Amino acid sequence: MRTEFPRSTLKGLGVAVAAALTLGAGAAGAQPAGPPPLGAGGLPSGGLPPLPGGASGGALPQLPAGGPAGAPLGGFAMPQVPPTPAEQLIAGLAPPSPGVVFPGPALGPDAPTSSADPRDLQGTWYHNQKLETRIQRDMYGELAPYNMEGAKVLARRVKSKDAGKPFVNASAICRPPGPLWQRDLNMPFQIFQSNDAVEFVFEEYHGRWRVALDMAKAPPPAQKDYMGYSVGHWDGATLVVETSDFKQALWLDVDGTPLSANGKLIQRIRKVDNGDSKPFLEVITTIDDPTYYTRPWSVVRTFVWNPRMTYFDEYNCEEQVGDPSTDPDAGLVPEPKD
Amino acid sequence: MVMIKSRPRHGGGPVLVGALLAAGIAASATAQPATPNLQGVWKIAAPTNSLKPVSGPVPFTAEGRKQYDENKRLQAKGDYDDYDITLSRCSNPGTPRLMLIPSRFKIWERFGVVTFDFEWNQVIRQVNASKLEPKEDRIGRRLVPSATGTAVGRWEGDALVAESTNLSERTLLDDLVPHTVDMKVTEHFRLVDPDTLEDRITIDDPTYFTRPWDAVLTFKRQPATLFHEDVCLDRIKAKQPAFPQ
Repeated sequence: MRTEFPRSTLKGLGVAVAAALTLGAGAAGAQPAGPPPLGAGGLPSGGLPPLPGGASGGALPQLPAGGPAGAPLGGFAMPQVPPTPAEQLIAGLAPPSPGVVFPGPALGPDAPTSSADPRDLQGTWYHNQKLETRIQRDMYGELAPYNMEGAKVLARRVKSKDAGKPFVNASAICRPPGPLWQRDLNMPFQIFQSNDAVEFVFEEYHGRWRVALDMAKAPPPAQKDYMGYSVGHWDGATLVVETSDFKQALWLDVDGTPLSANGKLIQRIRKVDNGDSKPFLEVITTIDDPTYYTRPWSVVRTFVWNPRMTYFDEYNCEEQVGDPSTDPDAGLVPEPKD
Repeated sequence: MVMIKSRPRHGGGPVLVGALLAAGIAASATAQPATPNLQGVWKIAAPTNSLKPVSGPVPFTAEGRKQYDENKRLQAKGDYDDYDITLSRCSNPGTPRLMLIPSRFKIWERFGVVTFDFEWNQVIRQVNASKLEPKEDRIGRRLVPSATGTAVGRWEGDALVAESTNLSERTLLDDLVPHTVDMKVTEHFRLVDPDTLEDRITIDDPTYFTRPWDAVLTFKRQPATLFHEDVCLDRIKAKQPAFPQ
C-alpha cells in the first residue's frame, strides 16, 4: 500500500487533534497526522470507543477562495492552503442527509457472552453509529482525498440525487453493494468462522462477505464477484482482510462515494473487550484507489455485540423489484459511464 | 398470480416455545449446543421439483385443486410471473420449497437460532429455537406474511421441530402446489446418521388440503467450503433459468 502524507500536515494535525479529543482516544498528540496507523499496535490498546455519531458526516465547511483561515495551534499559525479544484467541487455540494442509528435491544443479564478469545469474532453484531450517507472524511476528520475524477463522480451522483433523478446502483437492483456499504447499513449481521474462513452473514441484501484465510481452500472465483475476493490473515488479534477483484465499481455509501473496480479495501477488524462482556468490533477500512483518490484513506466503524438480534427479519428484494407493476429500476436513472 | 380467497386467519399467533439450550444460551458464542449438532454443509440427496406426500396423492380440497390446475395452465403457457415469482423474479422460494433447491446449504446454530444459509441466491431462513425474543419490529414488517414467515423452534429428543406460520401465499410448496396464508408447516429435522439429515415436513392448510400431509426430504453432508457468490437476477438478465440446470 502506498504511504503518503496529506497535503497539509498541519491542517490535518489540527483536525486530528480535535477528533481525538472528541473521541477521547488518549493523548491527542500521540495520534499522527498522516495516514491512520494500521499496525496492530498503532491504536490505543483499548481501541477506539464506539462513536456516537461517526467521525465524520454533516455539512462540509465552505472553503473560502483564499483557502482555510489560519488558526493558532500550539503556537503554530496554520498555513494558508488553497483548496484543490476537487475540494472546491466537493465543498459546493449540498450536505448529505443526516443518518440515524436505532438502538438495539438491551442485552440484559442473561444475554449470551462473546468468547474470551480475541480471535473468535463469532456472534451477532449491530451498529452503534449513525449511518453515514456520504462518508466525506477519514477517521481523523480529514477530507477524503478525492482527486478530480473522484470528485466529479461523487458530485455527479449527489447532484443527480438532489435533482430527484438518482442513479441506479447495485442495491437498488438487488445486487450485492460491496463490503463497505453492506456493513455500514443499520442492519445486524452474524459472523461464523473456522480456521479456513470467516463468513459474515447480513440481514439485508442476501449479504455475504466471505473471507478466505486459506487461499488454497478458497481460491479466487472463475468470474469476479460483486463483493470482490477477500483474503485475510491474523496480525496478532487483528484480522486483516484485503478485498480486491471487484466485478464492477462500487458505491461506498448511499450518496455514491466511489470505488473503482480496480480499487482495494483493506479492513482491520478486531474485537475490543473491556472486560464487561459487552465487546465491540472495530473495523478500520483503508480505501486504496488511485483512480479516484490521491492517497489511501481510512474510516473507522464500530459494531456492538448483540445476540438478541440473531433472529433476522426476512429480506426479499426481488419480489418488489421484479414486480411488473412497478418500475424495474425503482425510478432511478442509469448513470452515465465515465 | 391468480389468487383464490383463503379462509380467515385465526388467532393464536406464534408462541415462543424455546425451552431448549438453556446451557447453550448462557455459554459463549462458540460453545457447542447440548442438542444434536445439525451444523455443516448439506445437499438434497435426490433432487426433485415436487414435494411428494409420503403416501398417496396430494389431498387437495376442491379449492386447492382449482388453484393447482390454474398453476399448471399458467406453467404450460410460460406465464411464470402469474404463479411462480421465484422462477420469474428470483423471489425467495419460501418454506418449505427452499429445502427442494438442488444446490447446497449450510446450517449454522448460534444462541439457539438455527440459520439455513443457502448457496442459491444467498437466501437464508432461520428457526428461532432460542429464548431470545425477536428484535423490535419498528416498521411492522412481520405484519405482512413473508416467504419464510415466522419460524419457531424447539427440540424434541434428537429432533429440531420448526413450526412456520405467516407464510406468504405468493410462494409455492414446490414448482406447482399452492398454499394459503393460513398454512402451518411443521418440520422435524434429525440426523439419521452423522452424514444424513432428514426433514419430515407436515403441511397443514385446511383451505387447500383435506388433511395434514407429510413429505420427507433427505440431505447428505458435503465437504466444508466457502460458497461462491450467487446472484439469481444475473441469470434472469442473461435469459437463464433461476435455478441453474
